[in-house]
Amino acid sequence: MKTRDMMSRHQGKTAGLVKLFLWIYSSFTFFMLVYMMYHSLRPRQDILSNTFGKPEKLSLDNYIKLIVKDHFFRYFGNSVMILAVSLALLVFISSITAYGIARYRFKGRKFLRVYFLVGLMFPIQLGIVPVFQIMKNLNLINHPLSVILVSAANISMPVFMLTDFFAGLPREIYEASLIDGAGEWMTFRKIMFPMASPIVFSVCITVSVQIWNQFFLPLIFLQKDVAKTVPLLVVKYTGKLINTMDLAMAVSTLSTIPILLLFLVFSQKILDGVTAGGVKG
Amino acid sequence: MIKKLRKKPYIWFLMPGLILYSVFIIYPIFAAGQLSLYYWNGIGEKVFVGFQNYIDLFTNKDLMSQMMNALRHSLTIFALTVCIAIPVQVTMAYMVYSKAKGGNYFQVAIFSPQFISTPVIVFIFTLIFDGNIGIVNKLMEVAGLGAYTRSWLGIPQYGIYIVWAMITWAGIGVGMMYFIGAMKMIGRDSLECAYMEGAGFWKRLWYIILPQIRMTILNLVLVSYIVSMTIFDFSYILGGTSGGINRNVDVMSLFFYRMAFGDTNPLGGNVSANSMGMGTAVACVLFLMIFMIALLQLLLVYRKEED
Repeated sequence: MKTRDMMSRHQGKTAGLVKLFLWIYSSFTFFMLVYMMYHSLRPRQDILSNTFGKPEKLSLDNYIKLIVKDHFFRYFGNSVMILAVSLALLVFISSITAYGIARYRFKGRKFLRVYFLVGLMFPIQLGIVPVFQIMKNLNLINHPLSVILVSAANISMPVFMLTDFFAGLPREIYEASLIDGAGEWMTFRKIMFPMASPIVFSVCITVSVQIWNQFFLPLIFLQKDVAKTVPLLVVKYTGKLINTMDLAMAVSTLSTIPILLLFLVFSQKILDGVTAGGVKG
Repeated sequence: MIKKLRKKPYIWFLMPGLILYSVFIIYPIFAAGQLSLYYWNGIGEKVFVGFQNYIDLFTNKDLMSQMMNALRHSLTIFALTVCIAIPVQVTMAYMVYSKAKGGNYFQVAIFSPQFISTPVIVFIFTLIFDGNIGIVNKLMEVAGLGAYTRSWLGIPQYGIYIVWAMITWAGIGVGMMYFIGAMKMIGRDSLECAYMEGAGFWKRLWYIILPQIRMTILNLVLVSYIVSMTIFDFSYILGGTSGGINRNVDVMSLFFYRMAFGDTNPLGGNVSANSMGMGTAVACVLFLMIFMIALLQLLLVYRKEED
């Protein structure tokens, strides 16, 4: 308690100025979101020609149009599905890989550690042409699996973090479990994996943000409307603002606010998870 | 065979990850390297041309000027990030770390744009800087500066700075959290000691904290480099495939996309007869630029650790 007091006292005038700036900056972020929400309730002409004036009327018309006529929830469903499957696959694969590297002694173990790490220098964008050819041959263009497979293959960071964790677990736990008669797989699933849950949580947070917001992969692979994800729908409206200002407001709000509310509710947990990931990296 | 595998349980654990990762992350770069030696548009006949694509890329005036322009923009983003964003992130992290009033609120607010998808971020910037409905212009009018109002997003010279501002606003929280994490690893003793000795708030940051988080800073510099070389969404959404007016928001990744998938859309459109060959050649040049810097950094880090 004493150290806490010491750290927060005597920060000086500059620190006060910095804090003031941070207050303004932070509040501005939230202000913009509320501002967007407010405009999403106005008709298009009213937003465009009377932006700062008194609104003509406020209604949910834009949302109704968005959901009924433009199938917002189909896009939303696609996004959720891609996120859920990729995340499950990624967590499963990266934890068994990390466990395999950390638990067993075999030739090439060191090499594998480095091999899984170099992916950080292999951005998916640059290899997209060959990947596109593979997906075309597998007939997966316009199929969510194309995005899912590539997203779930990006396991460098998770494997790195989890390998460190599993390597740090005492060997006795593993041996005791084998003596108790659990097989290799059961030992992993029932004993080892649950112990890694804080790291897994941290991985889930960082990765799911990336997958949810990803733009490049869906843009390349999902060209038909039925397969598209939310960010692609947003672009459809923000591309020609003059014609679709109202819908752009509504879709931006609807795709942003629920996620942010989730974040606000669990913010402490989520931020701790992110911090944990950063320390490892 | 089965018996052998039974003796080596790790193979079962490693196989799925090894396959998926190798096929979709590692192999594509090498396949791109191979493709870059061909004249090919993805559909027709593949003709082996050796290094001709690279020679074309570096000797063709138009391609070269496009690439240099894109590279300059990417490096601008990188430089601004290192010179402005990273110091700001460290300062923000220090504020939260030292329990400044409202620290938790800052943390949440600064991190939250991370959860907003790129198109929405671009849209929010439109709401702020647009010529007709933008908040900035309105504020200027109210402040009596009506004569200086402009369509900020439409000024070519500012384009790349606006792209940088968007990237920074969206991503600044992640770096901040990493720095907070790194700061929490520092022993409290040295800080308390410094406090007793009379080191002020900023002196403690400069002399005690900064030296101990320099690895994190170095890592973040490398990450910013890779990001600025591969960032795509913002420029694409803001300026389309062609990279805006006079390619004012063009970046390396977008240049690559334009070469590989043509000027309009991934299928068809304005694709050249050698799209895949030239596209992969650009990808390989870009990859080498990333790989060499990353290698350099790794060597530096290893040297430091051995000392």
